[in-house]
Amino acid sequence: MSAYYKNNRSEEDQGYHDYSESEDYPDFPAPLNNPDDPRTRRNPYSAGSRVSPDYPVSLAEPDYPGSLSNPDHPSTMNHPFSATSRISPDYRRSVAEPDYIELQRNPYHPSSSRQPDSSQFQQNPDVAYSRSSGNHADSRTNPDYFGSLPEPDYPGTQSNSNHPGSRTNSTHSGSRRSIEYAGSRINPYTDSLGEPDYPGAKNQHNSSHFWGEPDYPGAKDYQNSPDIWGEPDYPDAENGHDYGSSEAPEMTRGVLSRTSSVQSMFHHRIDGPLVIHRRENEDYPENIEMTSMEMTDSYGHSLPGAPRKGYVNPAYVGESSPVCAFENLMLSECDWHKSPEGQKLIASLIPMTSRDRIKAIRNQPRTMEEKRNLRRIVDKEKSKQSNRILKLNCCTQCLHSISRAYQRSKNSLSEFLNTISLWQKTLKIIGGKFGTSVLSYFNFLRWLLKFNIFSFIVNFSFIVIPQLTVAEENTLQFTGLEFLTGAGYFRDTVMYYGFYTNSTIQHGSSGASYNMQLAYIFTVGISLVICFFSLLFSMAKYFRNNFINPHIYSRGIAKLIFCWDFTVTHEKAVKLKQKNLSTEIRFLKTHSNPGAVLLLPFVVSCINLVVPRFYSMFRLVERYEMPRHEVYIILIRNIFLKISIIGILCYYWLNIVALSGEECWETLIGQEIYRLLLMDFVFSLADSFLGEFLRRIIGMQFITSLGLQEFDIARNVLELIYAQTLVWIGIFFCPLLPFIQMITLFIMFYAKNISLMMNFQPPSKAWRASQMMTVFILLLFFPSFTGVLFTLAITIWRIITYLYWQITEGRKIMIRLLHEQIINEGKDKMFLIEKLVKLQDTEKKVNPSSLVLERSEVEQQGPLHLGECDAAPGLRFRQSVQEDNSRA
Amino acid sequence: MGSKQTVFTHEQLEAYQDCTFFTRKEIMRLFYRYQDLAPQLVPLDYTSCPDVKVPYELIGSMPELKDNPFRQRIAQVFSDDGDGHMTLDNFLDMFSVMSEMAPRDLKAYYAFKIYDFNNDDYICAWDLEQTVTKLTRGELSAEEVTLVCEKVLDEADGDQDGRLSLEDFQNMILRAPDFLSTFHIRI
Repeated sequence: MSAYYKNNRSEEDQGYHDYSESEDYPDFPAPLNNPDDPRTRRNPYSAGSRVSPDYPVSLAEPDYPGSLSNPDHPSTMNHPFSATSRISPDYRRSVAEPDYIELQRNPYHPSSSRQPDSSQFQQNPDVAYSRSSGNHADSRTNPDYFGSLPEPDYPGTQSNSNHPGSRTNSTHSGSRRSIEYAGSRINPYTDSLGEPDYPGAKNQHNSSHFWGEPDYPGAKDYQNSPDIWGEPDYPDAENGHDYGSSEAPEMTRGVLSRTSSVQSMFHHRIDGPLVIHRRENEDYPENIEMTSMEMTDSYGHSLPGAPRKGYVNPAYVGESSPVCAFENLMLSECDWHKSPEGQKLIASLIPMTSRDRIKAIRNQPRTMEEKRNLRRIVDKEKSKQSNRILKLNCCTQCLHSISRAYQRSKNSLSEFLNTISLWQKTLKIIGGKFGTSVLSYFNFLRWLLKFNIFSFIVNFSFIVIPQLTVAEENTLQFTGLEFLTGAGYFRDTVMYYGFYTNSTIQHGSSGASYNMQLAYIFTVGISLVICFFSLLFSMAKYFRNNFINPHIYSRGIAKLIFCWDFTVTHEKAVKLKQKNLSTEIRFLKTHSNPGAVLLLPFVVSCINLVVPRFYSMFRLVERYEMPRHEVYIILIRNIFLKISIIGILCYYWLNIVALSGEECWETLIGQEIYRLLLMDFVFSLADSFLGEFLRRIIGMQFITSLGLQEFDIARNVLELIYAQTLVWIGIFFCPLLPFIQMITLFIMFYAKNISLMMNFQPPSKAWRASQMMTVFILLLFFPSFTGVLFTLAITIWRIITYLYWQITEGRKIMIRLLHEQIINEGKDKMFLIEKLVKLQDTEKKVNPSSLVLERSEVEQQGPLHLGECDAAPGLRFRQSVQEDNSRA
Repeated sequence: MGSKQTVFTHEQLEAYQDCTFFTRKEIMRLFYRYQDLAPQLVPLDYTSCPDVKVPYELIGSMPELKDNPFRQRIAQVFSDDGDGHMTLDNFLDMFSVMSEMAPRDLKAYYAFKIYDFNNDDYICAWDLEQTVTKLTRGELSAEEVTLVCEKVLDEADGDQDGRLSLEDFQNMILRAPDFLSTFHIRI
């Protein structure tokens, strides 16, 4: 920081005394110089470029102010540019710093939250530098701001009259800029289009291609130059954004922010609140909330193209590079397209079909103006291309116009469909009052309605209308009761199948015939098929949208916070929602709820409890001769139930839990099985003691006709089988499971025993016990045990393959390391040999007499050296190949 | 059709259609909504692309936004200068992003901007505090708010840098299936 100040001071000393003194702002002068110096102007973003070693050097150059005319200046200017574009982390850091400064200024800002930032940049010299510029900017801002209040044109005079006079290089830069502009204007992108690939933000080399000039930022300069201030000083996108749309009424504010933020975004960030605060108070005094908000928000639309780390969507590529930040000055909305990202995007858009292109443009996170320009440019390019290549081919032109017409008709169709979208207003009100959750029900209802409307239209037009043309007179009486019964009068109407004729309808002798039978079948069939497919597609769509990866659903608080329901617009509802949210947050805060994992076993056990009973009730309807058959039937039913439950669970464990990338999914499954087993046990116990007991009470006391119940063998056996299956599955994941099962079986035995004694009557029918036992064991073996074996096999296989995979991965890493080692050793040898040769040379010079002695040594070394030299390019080549690979 | 011609040229309308998720009719409806906000300010002829801005106070008083705790942020994010004053383009942009048709990525991008109160491209603890305060109408105590913020960061901060990047945010949004339907303003 101090270094930077010094730097400024030194600049000042070099020839701007007069200026600063005449202005009479003691703290001012250094910053004031900066705006005019294009290099300093770039300081803010060169925060990123500071990674490159030579940038600080260039900063430290004594002839700093004169560097504009310096021939190497373009390269230094380029440097930050390219560096930032490549090394975005640093850039980001520099962007983040203003917060710190702001924090110092802004009373609303809790300092604790910013601590990481501040520490970060205190450690980092680079950042310290940019911080200093921030502060320095700030020091400038306030005087500027206050000073300009009484005399609004102060900044203008300051920049226009003083600077050019005192410095030639500022005008120089101006003229240069315009030249660049001209250049850039001539070949905005046509040149670049000729290029096979759009280089992106990789380096200045490419940008120089674009502009035909080494000085890439020149284009940016141009963007600023038409500005009334003629200042080359709006370096970052943030500020530029503001200027871009500044208009006459806001001029004074614009002036303020402009002049004060001449240097960097830091400025702007700092004086933003002030400016807007004032403005708000002037213009809209009633809006107090806004002003306080504006303290932080005023920077508003800033950093439109600020770096985004790892932003994956290719559509947003433009955003991911700071280059965009430079280019995204609003003054020239169209200029975004000229940036490498814009070019890239345009290039990628051109080969698309018009539908995809429109979609891609729509999905751009840009302002309307930018999107519109993008669209215009792409269209122009497209037509140019097609003119160039396909001038002679009228057929393609024809196709083109057809596709256009199709597009248009599709648009109007969707417009038409939109007009018939039902209950738009009502849904809005419902959503506004009750939120999306309630709304979803109505949406579903509406969706079903659409289905039915479709079916009705199809049926009506293809079945009912033809039938009506040949309808016979209805002779039945209509009493009104038919509305309830649906019979009577309606029997002989188009309502029912029986009314439709099974003949071919033909009007007149020459009229077209209509086969009613075929029509009936096909209409119903086709409408069902269409419904099926649309159901399928909408289901797929909903799944895609809502269940992209359900196993990573967060139950957490973040969802609560960021999923505010924007549909809710009703004041009361909003308040209620806010209240709910705060209670929910409080609840979440206090309860992390470890019991939630018990939900699954609970549900499974409930199913196990209820459904078999339901099956048992079938007994009342189906009367079997042999009790054995009855048991078997029930067994089979229950077995399907249990198999499906266990199957689903296994699928869930093996395909979702196992692949979810948890630390140790085997343990998770073991826990799950343990819970299931325990829950099952608890349910069985409760069932024995409560359910069966209650049943006895009811049977004995209240409904004596029911009498005592009989012991349901099938159900109870299956419960055991189910538990045993679980144990077998879980034995791999939880080796102590048999022990637990042992205990539970032990307890169950006594519990069932007591329950049986108390609550049941002996079976009224004879059983063949030995056969039944066989069946039980068969059941235990076949679905249960083989299933378990299968599951385990899958598990083990998966683990083994995983192990192998790990091993191969490890070997790959090993190979790479060895490779690197070989390369490094080669380098080492080269280095040593060079040293040796140098040493020998110097020794020869110093001591020529020893030449004779050492010659033999040199000769010995010679061939070796040559060999190394030969080997070196090979190594290098390999290395570069490797690098390419890793990059790819 | 006649009235359309006087407001926009055919090309303008087509451009709007291509750049937003709206149909021609919806664009016209939105235009009239916009025009209704400030009838004396907004001309009925947009063929010459007049540079008109409707101040935030009027935008924020729309029934769709009036009670939204984030109305101000929405307006700021979509306005050119970040001051909430909107041109027709901004207005259409806003409702296009908030429409049903907008894809998740686009919505997430703008949602991130809305929640990034200080525009530093990260949702930091302070931004979260702002969000929580707005969501709960300041019913929570300061400690509770900080606790909630910590929890959110804990949950969603993938790279553990103490703040949410856009990527973190998108990852989190992926896990919140409600987002698509809730980040939606019906017009």
